[in-house]
Amino acid sequence: MIGWEYPPHNSGGLGVACQGLTEALAEQNQQLYFTLPYSLPQNVGHMRVLDCSHPDWNLPKNKPPFFAYDALSGSNLLTDAEVSEHKLDLNQLHLLPQSDLEKQVMQYHDQVVQKSRSADFSAIHAHDWMSFPAGMALKDKTKKPLIVHVHSTEFDRSPHGGSQYIMNTEYEGMKMADVIIAVSAYTKHLLVEKYGINPNKIQVVHNGISPLTDSDPGRHHFASSRPMVVFMGRLTGQKGPEHFLKIAQMVLKQMPEVLFVIAGHGDLYQELLFSSADKGLSGKVLFSGFVRDQQRDKLLDRADVFVMPSLSEPFGLVAVEAAQRSTPVIISKSSGVSEVLPHSLQADFWDTDLMARQIVELLANEKHAQSIVAKQHQDLKPVTWKSAAQKVKDIYSRTLGLS
Amino acid sequence: MPQVCFYFQLHQPYRLKQLNVFDLEKNSDYFTKDNRQIFLKVAEKSYRPMLTLLLGLTQAQPKFSFALSCSGVFLEQAEKFSPDIIELLKKLAQTKQVEFLAETYYHSLASLYSDQEFFDQVKLHGQKIKKLFNLNPRIFRNSELIYSNQIAELVAKLGYKGILTEAVDRYLGGRDKTKVYLSYTGKPIPVMLKHAQLSDDIAFRFSNRQWEEYPLTVEKYLRWVEIYSEKQVVNLFMDFETFGEHQWADTGIFDFFTAFVHQFLAKPYNYFVTPSEAISGLKKSELEVYDVPVPISWADIDRDLTAWVDNSLQQDSIKKIYDLESEVKAVFDEPLLDLWRRLQTSDHFYYMCTKWANDGDVHAYFSPYESPFEAYRHYSIALADFQAKLSNFKNKQVTKK
Repeated sequence: MIGWEYPPHNSGGLGVACQGLTEALAEQNQQLYFTLPYSLPQNVGHMRVLDCSHPDWNLPKNKPPFFAYDALSGSNLLTDAEVSEHKLDLNQLHLLPQSDLEKQVMQYHDQVVQKSRSADFSAIHAHDWMSFPAGMALKDKTKKPLIVHVHSTEFDRSPHGGSQYIMNTEYEGMKMADVIIAVSAYTKHLLVEKYGINPNKIQVVHNGISPLTDSDPGRHHFASSRPMVVFMGRLTGQKGPEHFLKIAQMVLKQMPEVLFVIAGHGDLYQELLFSSADKGLSGKVLFSGFVRDQQRDKLLDRADVFVMPSLSEPFGLVAVEAAQRSTPVIISKSSGVSEVLPHSLQADFWDTDLMARQIVELLANEKHAQSIVAKQHQDLKPVTWKSAAQKVKDIYSRTLGLS
Repeated sequence: MPQVCFYFQLHQPYRLKQLNVFDLEKNSDYFTKDNRQIFLKVAEKSYRPMLTLLLGLTQAQPKFSFALSCSGVFLEQAEKFSPDIIELLKKLAQTKQVEFLAETYYHSLASLYSDQEFFDQVKLHGQKIKKLFNLNPRIFRNSELIYSNQIAELVAKLGYKGILTEAVDRYLGGRDKTKVYLSYTGKPIPVMLKHAQLSDDIAFRFSNRQWEEYPLTVEKYLRWVEIYSEKQVVNLFMDFETFGEHQWADTGIFDFFTAFVHQFLAKPYNYFVTPSEAISGLKKSELEVYDVPVPISWADIDRDLTAWVDNSLQQDSIKKIYDLESEVKAVFDEPLLDLWRRLQTSDHFYYMCTKWANDGDVHAYFSPYESPFEAYRHYSIALADFQAKLSNFKNKQVTKK
């Protein structure tokens, strides 16, 4: 497997997904090598991790040279019409600009090819575009089958048009792959529609989720006297925080006692503060800043409603975590997670009216909220890494012609 | 041979703690423990040495007089953290050479948002000055010298005999700032205007090595002051913390001040006056009107309100706190009322200022936050917690009934 990040250093879902998937695969006796552009600070027992950092990188060796999706954020809000009309121009995909980022990806590619000489493997599994060049080179060299795993695309991150180089890399990787794994049917659809990939080549494997041991849902944690609605994610256009403000404004007209919390940081932070004040939401919409670990869990436990109004969300792990913590979730239909949480409330990301109504109903009707929570728990039962790993193993087998 | 009127402002806000959302409704103290440290530090560097120096000067020079204005929140913190400062102030009050001015207890912007709250805070402040110093202020100075015709109307209504503010040329129209003017109000009161140039030479430029007049000697400063005639009043209005805090002791600021007072008084026909003395004996019919339709202040280049109410972060925060007035006052709980008022202190909004050109460095110097955005974020959390406290009180009262 060619990776880019792995917990504890990860920018979001990619590292977490690699951990869940590789652990479950190892339990099913799948032997794995896992390459990273840095050395892991602690040992991982279930697979062999190959440090493929480049000697030119004068960087701390225990972190990725750049976080996968921190710096790559689009900040423009799109209308639904713009999103559906926007198609990648395949003729544009072959433009190759230069930058440090690209150079590092190519240096990683060199290191992976070099370090994997000693490894004995039968298939190549590459996670997201940063690892695709290395995957392609290995396939070229070894003639082993290439599986590319799409956790998110440049189109999700920058719906208005991101880096041509990255889109090109994604496209080339998918073109050369024997099989493409998409984290959701939503992503599969996007790969077909926006990248023009043959749907027969794409297999959907939903992410799993690790069971919780410390869930403690309820209002007792803090701000106990009032209902609380939570947004958690990078403050970028992709995640739709501006929509969250509009929703808050509408809900507050009917239920002035509700508190809205925006957790996360990102390019839109200052703009959102201004926008919140412009809308007269001071003291009603609160910004917690970036939260991690116990605070993150506590906020999801405490939330009375969790809202994810993303414009495009390949999966959306945090919504699953909220559901696990017995919080009713409202999810954008443009998300992968809506497929594994069919009983959550869903809406088009632009339909702030509907999401506001959904919030009001959940807050006003305790039984309704409880029933959503119970159904979400049912939905989550089959959402395991074990089941994801089984599907990946089947894909390996079929690809290797063993089935 | 002019008259010189010194007025020094003493104020320390209750700075907010960096509350986060996880502190909500946890009965958290809103204010940082740093307030004590900051007060003690400023007391050490400025309040104690300068008040001692002023006391010495009043004893050595019976003709030396000046004005002080102390915000209520300053006096409270002095009582709690450094009572010797109160003792020094009391001694100064007994000299009869020091005039104490009236202001809003919480150093607030109430004059712009609520007449009733403004009256309440001015009254509270008057009670505090009476209690501590047995004085009844006669002259008013608003937070940050904020002034308009409308504010002067309120101040005149409260019976004050005069008011201090900034000389802003768009309203002064080239007239002398060293004359006493009349407010443009139903019942006119005398208005004294700050001499920004000469005040800021001491307050801001004294230790600036890039300044072409550096170093500022007493002789040079006297020459600048003495170009005015005996009928003119040079109003040198500044923060008290200028002495020892903004300009550290090693800049020579204390020696400069002492020498200035002695050398100024060494010449006949030079007088120090307090604001009350400056306006006494003036015939209102001989004074010109200072017409200020839009509020002004002593802050920044613009001398307007933009240091506090320029952007939406400031505007919405202020609006939200004043919107609570009738609800807060309806529950009749002193600690709650006090908390609400502490959240009105103008400094909270000053920290949220985002106009960075020219004045930004001054704002950053005074702000405990890394950015105006953090100032807003934390204020908003305090506001949310306060709203919960308020609802809690209201619910309790409903249950009792």
